[in-house]
Amino acid sequence: MGNEAIARGALEAGICFASAYPGTPSTEIVESLASVAKEAGIYVEWSTNEKVAFEAAYAAAISYVRSLVAMKHVGVNVAADILMSSGYAGTNAGFIIVSADDPGQHSSQNEQDNRWYGMLSHIPVVEPSSPRDAYKLVKEAYRLSEKYKQPIIFRSTTRISHTRQPVLLEEDVPAEKKCRGKFERTIERWVLVPAHGRKQKRRMMNVWKQIREEEGHPPFITVFNPGRRKVIIADGIAYAHVAEALELMGKTNEYTVVKVNLPVPLPYKPIVETLQDAKHVLIVEELDPVVEMQVKQVMYENGLAPDLHGKDFVPENGELDLDTVYRSIALFEGREPVAPWEPMKPLDLTPKIPPRPPVMCPGCPHRNTFYIVKVAANKARSKNPIFTGDIGCYTLGYQKPFYTQMTSFEMGGSIGVAHGLSKVVDEPVIAVIGDSTFYHAGIPGSINIIYNKGKSIVLVLDNFYTAMTGHQPHPGTGKTAMGEETYRVPIEKILETIGFETYVINPMNVKESINKVAEAFEKYKEGKPVAIVSRMKCALQAIRDARHKGIKLPVYTILQDKCTGCMVCVNLLGCPAIIVPKGAKKPVILSELCAGCGLCAQVCPFNAIVLKEKGSPNWIEAWF
Amino acid sequence: MPKRYNIVVAGVGGQGLLTLGRVLGNAAIEAGIDVSIAETHGLSQRGGSLIVQIRLGEGESPMIPRGAADLLIGLEALETARQIIYANKETRIVMNKFIWPPPLEIYPDLDQIIEKIKGRKLRLYVIDANKISEEIVGSIISANMAILGYSYAVDPGLQERLEYKHLVKGLERVFRGKVLELNKKVLATAYDLGRKQVEK
Ligand code: SF4
Ligand code: SF4
Repeated sequence: MGNEAIARGALEAGICFASAYPGTPSTEIVESLASVAKEAGIYVEWSTNEKVAFEAAYAAAISYVRSLVAMKHVGVNVAADILMSSGYAGTNAGFIIVSADDPGQHSSQNEQDNRWYGMLSHIPVVEPSSPRDAYKLVKEAYRLSEKYKQPIIFRSTTRISHTRQPVLLEEDVPAEKKCRGKFERTIERWVLVPAHGRKQKRRMMNVWKQIREEEGHPPFITVFNPGRRKVIIADGIAYAHVAEALELMGKTNEYTVVKVNLPVPLPYKPIVETLQDAKHVLIVEELDPVVEMQVKQVMYENGLAPDLHGKDFVPENGELDLDTVYRSIALFEGREPVAPWEPMKPLDLTPKIPPRPPVMCPGCPHRNTFYIVKVAANKARSKNPIFTGDIGCYTLGYQKPFYTQMTSFEMGGSIGVAHGLSKVVDEPVIAVIGDSTFYHAGIPGSINIIYNKGKSIVLVLDNFYTAMTGHQPHPGTGKTAMGEETYRVPIEKILETIGFETYVINPMNVKESINKVAEAFEKYKEGKPVAIVSRMKCALQAIRDARHKGIKLPVYTILQDKCTGCMVCVNLLGCPAIIVPKGAKKPVILSELCAGCGLCAQVCPFNAIVLKEKGSPNWIEAWF
Repeated sequence: MPKRYNIVVAGVGGQGLLTLGRVLGNAAIEAGIDVSIAETHGLSQRGGSLIVQIRLGEGESPMIPRGAADLLIGLEALETARQIIYANKETRIVMNKFIWPPPLEIYPDLDQIIEKIKGRKLRLYVIDANKISEEIVGSIISANMAILGYSYAVDPGLQERLEYKHLVKGLERVFRGKVLELNKKVLATAYDLGRKQVEK
């Protein structure tokens, strides 16, 4: 996998420190480092957020210990503050910031192009064209970082990070690495008061200029087939699509192709040389015209004026693939943009195939919690509560039947947004946030509610893990990234300390929880600051733990003679294990999928849902 | 021009698509063939539509153009139908006899899907992979390996590139112990079933 390739490359480059906050598509970089940390003798951590992760790894690098910090593209926004300063202060050992971008938004709230961060911070951006390339380029990026004492942004994208490819290893992981650093009190660098900052900016601009001038060679810029009149300049993964599209067209020999792996700042010499011979130029890059903008600048500076195309033929949004790139090149050639494959038309089915967005898993504790909170709100006559939401599996509560996320912007946003809303609307406002997100960015917002006398409820869904990204541990798990036992930081203690009256519920006990939450709503109506922590393990993890420990979970079934077909279970819960077979009037439970949470049995008004198979006596242990 | 062999695996997040991709990928490595596998993770893995794109042969672009699949493996019927756009007239389609409707939606039925695919004169193979897995493992967890064994048996393109022993080796790189043994059995059982189908 591309992410594993990045991790391996970094290990070979001799890093001894790595930190991250998990986020798709970046997660496996530090995950794979954590899994070999002890063996490799390096330190690895899951930090509470990207800013903290950045600070930690950067501190190592200014103390002569090579380090890596990884995050998804939107995570860089969280770390942007220190990122900007690090460009000024520079580093003493190789330091790579991996930004895993997500063109096409497979699992993100936007598709921002983080090459701009390089422009903004004057930190060079290295971008691979494939997982194999990533493995090699990480090592080159460390060299570049140390040569110029400057951090490097290593931009990966989903199709690099999550593509698997065989990678031939070139080197061993060095047995000797520098893990103990030393901090030099060069306050001129580390203390960015205006006088120092101005001086550092000169250093930084110098580095910038030098890289632009001197790094125009492989592996950063590679020119294939020089001297042709038709040129394609392709950045990062776009190069892979271009190479294959040209091959499919039988036109590989007609073009000079410039493979760009250092898009920011773009070294201009090979560009000038290539454009001198060129008549027609196409720039293919994913998302924004970052390379295009710079090529135009180079053209102007050198009095070159070939016929240049870029974003007029290549889409500016969404991820590129072979289809789109093939079409773009065909358009550039002035041909019919028909691909050599004739795609099958969709089947004309009635009814149509319904969309299948992601859903909460069978047995997901969030389903129980959402059900409980909605019923309790009714019970307490809290009308039309507004639910603000956050980033995690529970974001899926925005869908039917729950509608328990009405906003979702960024990590920790639910609480700040709830506070603002509660100041301007009359309805009760409930901020829904996951455990990991609470540690990441929910605490400052919670303090703000108390301090500014807000009136929104904080509802923390604690499922023990950072579940969506693959169950990484966090301060509430009691384990570190490297698998060591550690202190647990209970969320309810934090909330109590801040000043919330805090209710902890076990959502598996539906009735009892409804009563407790209704009580919380009453307190809220009296004007007390209330918080609720709902605690039950992520179903995926519970099932996995059960399998490992040889625990059998219960399985439920619907007694067809008792079932009246009222559809309460179907319509209130949306559990994917409960389906209505084609033409049937009553639902059934797909027993292979049932996780045995028992929610449906507690909800059915006719007691038609019963145990089909009992779990082992200790089955409950898998869940808590 | 070295043509890449394109395999699209479609299904629902959680059905073991990524694992199927990894086994095939490892099999390719065992066979000394270059391979790339494009996956998606995170939220898209939570019970939503998911496809994994596997390309055998040299080349770096990880994505399969629509219409360019040589083999389409569908672990669920609605998802197989949805991803038919990756197929062309020559594509072999292997579909699990399993329909898993998204909650609270109306949907076309299995027979209709089969009929419509056949109506296009496509090479469709239907296999009850869940059942094979359940009979051997006791749950549907290995349906992915069942459909893989079957697909291998019915797809000459795959056989041309990989030997059966490579698949087994691929399996050995992903699983261990008892789970490995069970999965080997699932693979072999489905493979035999596929062979019989072809001989018919
Ligand atoms: S809630 Fe009970 S009675 Fe109503 S459809 Fe579901 S199983 Fe049948
Ligand atoms: S017990 Fe009911 S709600 Fe829970 S997983 Fe099984 S079918 Fe779904």
